[in-house]
Amino acid sequence: MAEAQSIKNPWGGGVSPFAVSWQKLMMWTFIVSDALLFGSMLSVYGFARLAQSAWPNQAEVFHLSLIGFMTFVLITSSATMATAVSASHQGKRSRVIGALVLTIVGGCTFLGLQVYEWATFIGEGARLHSNPWGAPAFSASFFAITGFHGTHVLTGVIILVITAIRTATGRVSEQGVELAGLYWHFVDLVWVFIFTLFYLI
Amino acid sequence: MLETQQLPSLRIYWMAWGLLLALTMGMLVTSFISIPTAVLVGLLLVGMMVKASVICAYFMHLRFEQRSLVIMVVLSIVLTLIVLFWLISYDAKRALELSGM
Repeated sequence: MAEAQSIKNPWGGGVSPFAVSWQKLMMWTFIVSDALLFGSMLSVYGFARLAQSAWPNQAEVFHLSLIGFMTFVLITSSATMATAVSASHQGKRSRVIGALVLTIVGGCTFLGLQVYEWATFIGEGARLHSNPWGAPAFSASFFAITGFHGTHVLTGVIILVITAIRTATGRVSEQGVELAGLYWHFVDLVWVFIFTLFYLI
Repeated sequence: MLETQQLPSLRIYWMAWGLLLALTMGMLVTSFISIPTAVLVGLLLVGMMVKASVICAYFMHLRFEQRSLVIMVVLSIVLTLIVLFWLISYDAKRALELSGM
């Protein structure tokens, strides 16, 4: 890892701040901004919920066992992603592709189950502006928050597919896999917050 | 360029996976037992923060990065959210008053 050094020529390029490449630093910057997006959406949900006198019991509305399984799928996909990143650092290309495929399968499983939840929810009468259980903010925040998260999962899957294809053709660096991994772990991280704050509490 | 000596073996990822799973199941079960709401919310929030820390530290590798990067990431989010909450709280209180609560 690069150590902080006194720079003889301040215009010579210097030492990378934070001792990471600019690509990794920018991915972290993006993750911070995306985290603030979800942070503000969850804050709005929190405020809307506190402003309501009654809020539906999530255990009665959702299949919490299914949501728990979705959480398991996403966490496992994060573990396989970490395996892929580790394998890419060791140069084991086939293992990278295998682990990426497992991660993609996990992501698609999550998306399929989320689609099922949405379909069931909509079938029971939930809309963006109203729902049969009371506070309109309930379904509105559900669709907004899980919709944004699901879109992030979808783009993550797309990024992973592209990364897997490029790994197979030998055109991706280990850093490319690592950055895709950072994004995927971020998606899992956001789900941890959504799962706790929206489904459990 | 990352040096492979810095990287943990796969074992640490699967241990983190196991911990995350255990925490998830614990939180799920906790939400169903009858305890005071404040205690439940407290436990769930603690569980959530532990899970988030495990993901950030081990999956996202922050435990092995420069401290300055970790501080940049965590502080940006925390400080911005604090400012957001503080600035919005005045409007929020007013909105609650106006809605009659």
